[in-house]
Amino acid sequence: MTDVTGLVERVVAALDRLASLGETVADEQIYVRDLALVWTARLRSVAAEVTTRADAGLAAGGATLPSGELETALGAMIAEADRIADPHRAIDWLSTLPQTTLVALGEVAW
Amino acid sequence: MRFQDAAKDARAVVYAGIQGDPLVARAADLLADATAGQRVLARAVMNGETIDAEIWRKMFPTLFGTSAPPSGSAERDRSEALLEASLGVAGRGELVRSQFRGAIVEAVTERLLARRVGPQALRRERRILFDGVPAEIHPYDVTVESDGAAEAYDCKWGARGISADVLHQLDDARAHAAEEGARLLPVLVVFDARRSCEVRLARQTAPRTGTRLVSLETLDRLAGRRAEATA
Repeated sequence: MTDVTGLVERVVAALDRLASLGETVADEQIYVRDLALVWTARLRSVAAEVTTRADAGLAAGGATLPSGELETALGAMIAEADRIADPHRAIDWLSTLPQTTLVALGEVAW
Repeated sequence: MRFQDAAKDARAVVYAGIQGDPLVARAADLLADATAGQRVLARAVMNGETIDAEIWRKMFPTLFGTSAPPSGSAERDRSEALLEASLGVAGRGELVRSQFRGAIVEAVTERLLARRVGPQALRRERRILFDGVPAEIHPYDVTVESDGAAEAYDCKWGARGISADVLHQLDDARAHAAEEGARLLPVLVVFDARRSCEVRLARQTAPRTGTRLVSLETLDRLAGRRAEATA
């Protein structure tokens, strides 16, 4: 079974890196911190729900993707996030990366 | 309250060229009928760094993977077409890319609104004038101008575009219309998740209660349809 919690924690770590880059935009530090905090909580909440459903033998969204497909997807997203060097684009991705993650998980993207 | 075309200054002329680009129309046509997941794909690609289509297909297994709609289906074709159009935007320089993204949000908004109010009621780049009130500098991206149902739309690519100035202009327009006994609905359309918009709005002190927020997940409400429940 796919370790959704472990995968999502890798995304959360990527979010932290984006936030560190985005925080270099002085006027946006508070927004960046708030954004990272809120989306991290959302991702962890979804990971917990997916894991609970899977443990109960219920449909678990994208966690039921063929073996490796979800890992490949999230790995590609993290690599994409890590390619970002511009702090303004990093702020955009602080919102984008959680949405792409949720779509890959087969969950509502918000 | 009356509407007026915005002045055709240099910025407006340049931007009109972007708005008229076939790629903007292509992307907007696709996004107007897209699923929530496809809209997230477009947002990610147009925000992204890589322009390798295969990498993006790997990132979206629910659109392109083994459990996605089959090749040749309308859904799959739209995903592929959106990916291609979005990469067309991403391949531009940073400034042009930003202008294209803004123009695409406006064009999608126009298309969806047309399904509800009809194209004849819609106008682009309009100012709203009130007696004794100086005109705002920035025109509204899209307006609905029909008897008894005026609506003013400001379109943003991301939640970060929400600012005090934007909120004040929208609320001022609503308030001035009310002073004249008219009704004007100000709407902020943001091609981003509501969660991010709410984070942005949380620390704003500008008035917002009279302004409607339409975010990525509720875009279809512009057309009078309920938002999609799932990605």
